[in-house]
Amino acid sequence: MNIITLAARNVYRNGHRSVVTAAAMAFACAMMIVFASLIEGFVKGSEQNIVAMNSGDIQIHRPGYRDDPDIYSLMIDSADLCNRIRQAGFATSERIFAFGLLASGQSSSGVQLRGLDLDFEPTVTLLNRQVMLGDWLDKTDHHGVVIGKKLARLLDVSLGDELVFVGQTADGYMANDTFYVRGIMRTVSSAIDNAGVLMSKSMLRELIALPEGAHELVVMRTDSMMNLELASQKIKALIRSDLEILNWRQLMPIISRFIETAHVQTLIMMLFTYIAVASVVLNAMLMSVFERIHEFGIMKAIGVRPWQIVRLVYAETFIMTIVASVIGALLGSGITWYLQNHGIDMSSLAEGISFSGIALDPVWYASLSSESVLTPVIFLFVIAAIAVIYPAIKVAVIHPVDAVHHH
Amino acid sequence: MRSLVTLIMIGLLASVFPANADKSRVRTLLNEIDDMWRGQSSYAITTMQVKTRHYTRSMKLEGWSKGKEKTLFRIIEPLREKGTATLKSANHIYTYLPKTDRTIKLTSGMMMGSWMGSHLTNDDLVKEARLEEDYDATISFEGVRDGQDIMEFTLIPKIDAAVVWGKLQLIILADSHIPVVEYYYDEDMLLARTISFSAIKTLGGRQRPSVLRVVPADKPDEYTEFVYEQLTFDLDLSDSLFSLSSLRK
Amino acid sequence: MNLNTLAWRNLWRHKRRTLITASSIAFGVLLAVTFTGAGDYFYTRMIDAGANMGMGHITVAAPDYNRAPSSKKYLHQAGKLRQQVINIEEVADVVARIHGQAMFASARTSIGGMFIAIDPKQEHADNNLFIKAMVSGEMLSSASEKDIVLGVDLARKLKVDLGKKVVYTTTDNNGDIVSAIARVSGLFQTGSSEIDGAMAILPLNTVQKVLGYQQDEVSVLAVTLHDQRSSHQMRDTLQNMAEFEAVEVLNWQQTQPDLAGMIAVDKSSNYISQLLIALLVAAGILNTMLMSVLERGREFGVMMAVGMSPRNLFLLVMLESFWLAVAGLIIGIVVTTPWYLFMSQTGIDLSEYYGEGFSFGGVLLDSVFKIRLFKESIMAILIGLFGLALLSGAYPAWRAGQIPPVESLKTI
Repeated sequence: MNIITLAARNVYRNGHRSVVTAAAMAFACAMMIVFASLIEGFVKGSEQNIVAMNSGDIQIHRPGYRDDPDIYSLMIDSADLCNRIRQAGFATSERIFAFGLLASGQSSSGVQLRGLDLDFEPTVTLLNRQVMLGDWLDKTDHHGVVIGKKLARLLDVSLGDELVFVGQTADGYMANDTFYVRGIMRTVSSAIDNAGVLMSKSMLRELIALPEGAHELVVMRTDSMMNLELASQKIKALIRSDLEILNWRQLMPIISRFIETAHVQTLIMMLFTYIAVASVVLNAMLMSVFERIHEFGIMKAIGVRPWQIVRLVYAETFIMTIVASVIGALLGSGITWYLQNHGIDMSSLAEGISFSGIALDPVWYASLSSESVLTPVIFLFVIAAIAVIYPAIKVAVIHPVDAVHHH
Repeated sequence: MRSLVTLIMIGLLASVFPANADKSRVRTLLNEIDDMWRGQSSYAITTMQVKTRHYTRSMKLEGWSKGKEKTLFRIIEPLREKGTATLKSANHIYTYLPKTDRTIKLTSGMMMGSWMGSHLTNDDLVKEARLEEDYDATISFEGVRDGQDIMEFTLIPKIDAAVVWGKLQLIILADSHIPVVEYYYDEDMLLARTISFSAIKTLGGRQRPSVLRVVPADKPDEYTEFVYEQLTFDLDLSDSLFSLSSLRK
Repeated sequence: MNLNTLAWRNLWRHKRRTLITASSIAFGVLLAVTFTGAGDYFYTRMIDAGANMGMGHITVAAPDYNRAPSSKKYLHQAGKLRQQVINIEEVADVVARIHGQAMFASARTSIGGMFIAIDPKQEHADNNLFIKAMVSGEMLSSASEKDIVLGVDLARKLKVDLGKKVVYTTTDNNGDIVSAIARVSGLFQTGSSEIDGAMAILPLNTVQKVLGYQQDEVSVLAVTLHDQRSSHQMRDTLQNMAEFEAVEVLNWQQTQPDLAGMIAVDKSSNYISQLLIALLVAAGILNTMLMSVLERGREFGVMMAVGMSPRNLFLLVMLESFWLAVAGLIIGIVVTTPWYLFMSQTGIDLSEYYGEGFSFGGVLLDSVFKIRLFKESIMAILIGLFGLALLSGAYPAWRAGQIPPVESLKTI
């Protein structure tokens, strides 16, 4: 008789036992898929939290601008650079900055004006979604600005309040205008928090008499699978060599390390999950074989060879693992799919602390990929195969008389 | 920021006179210079020209001062900034901005900002009134140097003085006591900036240099130049001139 | 025979699987201890570091100071208030500090930043993180009136070094602009460029004079607690004291909402991970017990036939789960104790992994991975796993109570 048919018959005959064993494996498999997807979602999410919030993947400046943000340290051909970068398949946006004094009533504070391209900024960052109170910038509103949370407290202003700016134009005159608070930002970076005044690029150009050029170009990969280093190389090949091109890992080395550490920790967690799965599967397989030792003893007694028994045990295991992995993959993908679309809202788990102030996304989304499904399935097969080595050999070599008496 | 008159010329030079009645020669001389420049009150019209790598611009200002604590000045030209006025009263600085019709009070955070796009900071202007308490002066050279009979004063900041400089050097003509040049050194005694005086003419009833040029040591091609067109002393100015309401005028 | 004894014996009839299942519970103990312990340790460190950087676990300040800080809002009779607080048992220390914004200037340049003014007599390495972070020179001493301690990046930007002059300009209690001179006596490096590039430490009595404050006037009293977890309760205690009616009492969650939010997010992701592992452990127990119930169908049938009630069968299987859980927990405690002792005392040094220039002497961040468990967490883990084991045993036990005697006798 075909060994697969025999194994299938055995699996079917031991209905309860097979169901329980396969269910345990399927559950373990589903858990692994959910967890792997959650980790992948965490990795993607944390990068996104950091990168997409404000910095972008890659930033381009004139050398030295970051240390000494001089208004004249300008990339004058920024419009052309942007075109070239966009043609190469990246998203990019120009930013210009200026410094000065912002006053309201009796309070005033030194601020950084950040002029953003309202058309292209949303293609590179999620700044526009980080408004805590009020609204994001609008092209038709020529006096509304969005300011940092701490700056708002320092100036003691709320939505709609008037702000007076005084600074200097690029041609040496006084830059002066009144704005009103259109929105207040969550914490995106401490720079924006303490001193950031966001406005449209065209507004700032007019205010500081800077008709062209940009201080910063923010570049984002459109293909998230593209390697960050490779993307940097491509951008470098596109533009003048005298500009400083840094990716976010170089811009924020400590944060980059933090994320790496977090990744390592989640990988350790993943490893522990696998160990837990292994113990479940091992136990399930051990039980499903040893409980039938009686039956195997009889098979030996009627002349079935040890090798054939090993093959039979493996065939049974294989069948159960296939069933378990299909169920597990479906169940796991289903749960993941739900978590991908709905996420786990951690703000409700976190003792009622309000997240209104920080830009970290409190909802944890899973990220379903072929990898996060395949790896657990393969692992399931491997661990099942390892788990039955011992019982399979044991029943294969057991003396029929012992087996029949074995309990 | 005692008005344009005292702003630089009197402020940085003359106010270094010692406060107590010690009759040393240095004090007598510095007192003399101080008397020469200081009035109970003053009025001036000045042109300021600023040249940097990125722009060259000029503006015309008028200013009033009364005592050491009260100063008001207002931009006359260009049209773009006309009416912009700054009031310093004791330790408060207010700026009136005609474009937006708002008056704002400057805070410590703004002190590092450039004053009207020049090579002076707001901080330079605030600190000025305190110089007399801040330095110990000695005569470090007397005689002929580069064909001119001069006297050189070295001003060392007092230990408690809120002064960033390492020392100041002031050179005046020996006979007329008219200032020629003033050097600012950092703590490592490296030159940080130079203020030079030229174009001596009759102003406010006596001979004074009418042009004053500030050159930062690290950017020798740049400068800020003040040209005095008119200067009058001891006018009868009421206190209400130096109030927030007269800022807007 | 006693049900308990019977259950215990039943368990050991299948040593192998009992041991494997018990080990999976033990493994659960190990994991829960490690992850909860890492959290307990790390969060406490972060919270304490945050507290030691200025505001304390509890902050006593003038009304509205926290919402919109200004040098016009300050505490009077700080000494009296301090005495009130320092005698409370839970309080480790109370320090008076002045916080403010300032412009720092050297002959070369000027930079906006912030300062904390401290009383050197009150401050030490245990309540002031900057003392730990010193990299050159000296922290302020009670003799230093004209000293300033700068962050290394701030000093670099100002182009000053030890012994050099720095003029700081700030706003006094009337809103007037005031300046004072100081000499750089020391430099600190916390590793956070935001702090190292903008923060200065000044002597309290000097700053009081500069700002026009009286000797007993400061902007905050920073209260550090022996245990950061009592911050809610301590805040409420202080708020209810008559002396604190006219002032604002806040806990660190209010003064540092960003940190609180960060920790909350991290905590929840930690819990979710642990929940998944708990589910796996539960699945293991369920699998074992269900299997053992299924294979004993005949046995249960016989027992029922000889008069054992379904309720007793249910109890029997529940007791098996109970003893399995007890065994697992005991093995878990035995295995975890040495691991915990090692991890809480020595820890794993990750500095090699982090590489140069990350931990900066471990001021803000530890390069050593350590764990520490709160007593409450230990109880939570033990009770949680125990409950989990009983819960997963419930279904198999119910099944055992359901098996009709005749049918199960047929299944041989």
